Amino acid sequence: MNRSPLWRPAARDALALREWDDEFVVYNDATGSTHHLNALGGDVLQALLSHPSGIDAHALVDILAKRIEVAPGLSLAAEVAAVLGKLRELDLASSVTG
Amino acid sequence: MRVGPIVARIRSPFRVVESALRLHYAADALAPDGDFVDFDVSVDAPIGVRRYVRPQAVFRFEGREPFKPLPASQAFPLLEWGLNWCISAHCHQYLIVHAAVVERNDRAMLMPAPPGSGKSTLCAALVARGFRLLSDELALIDIATGRLVPLPRPISLKNASIGIIESFWKDGTIGAVVDDTVKGAVAHASAPPDSVTRSDEHASPAFVVVPRYRADSEITLEPLSRAAGFMQLADNAFNYSLHGRAGFDALARLIDSSTCFAFTYGGTLDDAVRTLEALYEMKHGGDA
Repeated sequence: MNRSPLWRPAARDALALREWDDEFVVYNDATGSTHHLNALGGDVLQALLSHPSGIDAHALVDILAKRIEVAPGLSLAAEVAAVLGKLRELDLASSVTG
Repeated sequence: MRVGPIVARIRSPFRVVESALRLHYAADALAPDGDFVDFDVSVDAPIGVRRYVRPQAVFRFEGREPFKPLPASQAFPLLEWGLNWCISAHCHQYLIVHAAVVERNDRAMLMPAPPGSGKSTLCAALVARGFRLLSDELALIDIATGRLVPLPRPISLKNASIGIIESFWKDGTIGAVVDDTVKGAVAHASAPPDSVTRSDEHASPAFVVVPRYRADSEITLEPLSRAAGFMQLADNAFNYSLHGRAGFDALARLIDSSTCFAFTYGGTLDDAVRTLEALYEMKHGGDA
């Protein structure tokens, strides 16, 4: 049976986040990089940090759907998938097959 | 001589360097003999034919020559650029951002910007209208306290801004124009004596204003998100990556205290200055 990949944040101790007015900056001590995330990017990363052992995308969407109002015509699942891909590119998250 | 927190020993055989130092650093304290010297620098004539034929000047720091020689006529700008390099490459007890910093009522305005943004022209205009000069080039941030450390050195003006500031700052002291540098024509405006006298007074950050000059443009002052303001400071910092997490935390604390703006100006400097002065009528810098 194929299992959905689990998403994990980069090493928890390596990340520092600050939020102002629904925008985030995050520092990754492992890479030395600093990134500017929008509201959804920050929310996704914070949700991952709350599940350091891993969480699949469906469960992540369920958690975020309770907190986020999605504009009509947009799919939260699609938006979250795009964000997860971006976080992986930035070395802020990784996925493993569950 | 002592400039802000820095003590520099400067040696040069060039009359133009001596006269410029007397003009621009007259208000600075001579550091007592025996004081620790942070930077031992010289602007010398090179050895060899360039000492006499199309004479050149070379900047030396502790015996090393970090830059190529320049025409001897550029000896004073070379000294200023050399000191900028010394500070930005070595003063890692601070977080150093490429920014102008001015202050009024203990509320500092940082203007981070790359070269060509009009930062120094705007800085000179604000100082001409009574703002205290902390720095026109290098913002020194005390990592432990988050306060801004003064480094009141001559303001570097380029090309058209020289004439503009000469007209705008009637009682300012602007030195000789040096032509044909890599940045074009360059001249320096002295830091006001009051700014120098108050070199030991650190200032609290209140505003981050990202300037951009566009000739004939209307003045616009647009709110900038604090996260975007943070990234502007980080992107313009010389040693942010060196400080790692401590640098991130220091900038975050600075942003906590600040309101951020993107500022586009053209037209008259009076209007630009009035627009920024109006920020100080806000109750507290740091209010969103």
